[in-house]
Amino acid sequence: MIQPDNSSAIITVKKLHKCYWVGSMPFPALNGVNLSIDRGEFAVLAGRSGSGKSTLLNVIGALESADNGEVIVNGENILGMNHTERTLFRLHNIGFVFQSFNLIRVLSARENIAYVCQLQGMDKKESEGIADHWLNEVDMGHLGYRRPDQLSGGQQQRVAVARALATNPKIVLADEPTANLDTQTGQRLMCLLQQLNDKFGTTFLISSHDPDVKNAARRLIKLADGQVVRKWEKIPPAPPPISKACPIKNLPLAGRIRQFLRKKRKRPSKTGEKGPTPRRS
Amino acid sequence: MSNAKRLSLTAYLSLALRNLLRNPRRTGITLATMIFGIATLTLLSALNDGWLEQMRDNFILSFTGHIQIHASGFESSQNLNDHIKAPGEVILLLQDSPEIQGWTQRIRTSGLVSLGGSSAGVQIMATDPEQETWVTHMHRGLKQGRWLNPGTSHDLLLGITVAQNIGAEIGDRIVLMAQRPNGEMVSEIFFLRGILETGAPQIDRTLALIPLNAAQAWFEMGESVTDIVIRASSHENTASLQLQFNRKLSGGGYEILAWQDLDPMVRQWLEFSDAYGLIIILVVVALVLTEILNTMLIALHERQKELGIMIAIGTRKSQIFFMLLIEAVMLILLGGALGYGVGGLLVLHLSDGGIDLSYFANAFKFFYMDPVILPLLTLDSATRILGTTLVAALLAGLYPAWRATKIEISQSLRTF
Ligand SMILES: Nc1ncnc2c1ncn2[C@@H]1O[C@H](COP(=O)(O)OP(=O)(O)OP(=O)(O)O)[C@@H](O)[C@H]1O
Ligand SMILES: [Mg+2]
Repeated sequence: MIQPDNSSAIITVKKLHKCYWVGSMPFPALNGVNLSIDRGEFAVLAGRSGSGKSTLLNVIGALESADNGEVIVNGENILGMNHTERTLFRLHNIGFVFQSFNLIRVLSARENIAYVCQLQGMDKKESEGIADHWLNEVDMGHLGYRRPDQLSGGQQQRVAVARALATNPKIVLADEPTANLDTQTGQRLMCLLQQLNDKFGTTFLISSHDPDVKNAARRLIKLADGQVVRKWEKIPPAPPPISKACPIKNLPLAGRIRQFLRKKRKRPSKTGEKGPTPRRS
Repeated sequence: MSNAKRLSLTAYLSLALRNLLRNPRRTGITLATMIFGIATLTLLSALNDGWLEQMRDNFILSFTGHIQIHASGFESSQNLNDHIKAPGEVILLLQDSPEIQGWTQRIRTSGLVSLGGSSAGVQIMATDPEQETWVTHMHRGLKQGRWLNPGTSHDLLLGITVAQNIGAEIGDRIVLMAQRPNGEMVSEIFFLRGILETGAPQIDRTLALIPLNAAQAWFEMGESVTDIVIRASSHENTASLQLQFNRKLSGGGYEILAWQDLDPMVRQWLEFSDAYGLIIILVVVALVLTEILNTMLIALHERQKELGIMIAIGTRKSQIFFMLLIEAVMLILLGGALGYGVGGLLVLHLSDGGIDLSYFANAFKFFYMDPVILPLLTLDSATRILGTTLVAALLAGLYPAWRATKIEISQSLRTF
């Protein structure tokens, strides 16, 4: 199933159609979407409410099926997979940040992160090591023992980001990650995502209404009525909007962390995560 | 890609435990229902078992014994002609068997007692006075006077109601009248030596007890008897003993009857009580099942979104299923153990003095019951209660766990 990695695209969507049915009434959500996202991109999906952003993210993230078309993610044909294959695909390839209710309520922040590592087959100790690492990475190291309901919305989202990255995914999909946050917290979260993108070269695809999110985009993709309307529009890389306020110090740790992760996982890297991805422009 | 990894059992257990503690009040109420249900069940079942055993033992020990051997046809004809001519052959089989606690020989026939102007129909029973005490507790029911002397003495014991009906007192000369095997009506004078109250009204109302040898002489029956009555050393031996005798005595013109065959009404009553016990179990189990099902379904509903997230980030459906099932099983095991524990303590407490139902004693006497019921915990009922509860509760846990695997992620994430 894995195709030779001869392009830089990590997500390729071709003529994607998806219709929801309510009774016998069809509600077309995606009307022939064509899209390609390169490795290491930091892209934002914009569009009005109901334009199909969530649906597209769900299909790319192997959460939902589609009616027609082709979706290749990290060399794998998502639409041809059965249920279990999709679950495993998500586990090993995709990190998710949802709008809300991201975390498992009965687990602490640290355990939430360790949980996905355990799903990947790591033992408890190893998982906890990775959880601690990522908690520090999102500046939540001191609150790792707290349960989600003891954390603010912004803190919860940071933990969710840490969890999304802890499995060493190729892609992070975030559906309106700032929608439940105040402006400043939202900006700080976006700043964090950008920095992680810089540092680890993970591909980010984020949907949002939020102008701040759109500003942060290094590439903006606009959807309307289930179609990409402004195709491949690249906006010039804006400097991180509030870079001075960024809580994350630009640690020179990137290389060391990647090494650490590679050693820990001992998983063959098929993503071409070869050193820090140069910032795209 | 297909490296399907397992979560460790401790991870499941810890998740399940925390999910149970997530809503302590609800879990507490569910547990309380289970404890109450299973404790009640244990108690009712122990009462039922205690009562059944009492009734069975009373029935066996008041008169019938575990097994009776007759000449073929005697049980239905009750005719002295159908008697065992050579009881020695049978008695040889009884001696030294470790499965037998005691045996006696009897002659039973119907007759009449009269004293002065009054008379009453009776069941004349002649027995070996000494052997009888190994088989039944009849001698313990002596209200007045003394037990029969062995030999051919003309001692007579009467059931208390018979004695009252004809106004007999200890020492009275009483005329007994009956038919010999050849049909000849004969009468004989006996002396009332004792009055018996067995606790079973149908016996107290009809019993006229005389020594076996006296009866054999009176009826000119030689060595012959109508019944050989056997008490097994343990109740559980009854069936195997009956089988043995059937084999060894087959073709000799005998009928070998176990206590259940001797009074169909008692057997039916025991069977009914058993079925009744089962109905109680089913009702309580249904209650417990509904409660667990309810708790789990509500919990499932509340956690729909979270379960959706768990599936989205890579938890397999089998893992979700297992997680919820473990939750249910933990709840069940805890509730089951506590419930049975509380029930057991209640039973222990009550079995000290028993439950005194003397108020209803008259109704109970017909069923060979004591007015004080001693509840009884048996391995049988424990297995039945715990087994049924476990199976039922497991079913109640399986359904929500299965439902959880049907969660559509896209639906549950639609704030997404
Ligand atoms: N389960 C569903 N059943 C029917 N129609 C649906 C369902 N989910 C989505 N839709 C429809 O599909 C279209 C696309 O929905 P989608 O959620 O992808 O939009 P969106 O761009 O994410 O909107 P928003 O910005 O409000 O989140 C909408 O018209 C929506 O009404
Ligand atoms: Mg949406």
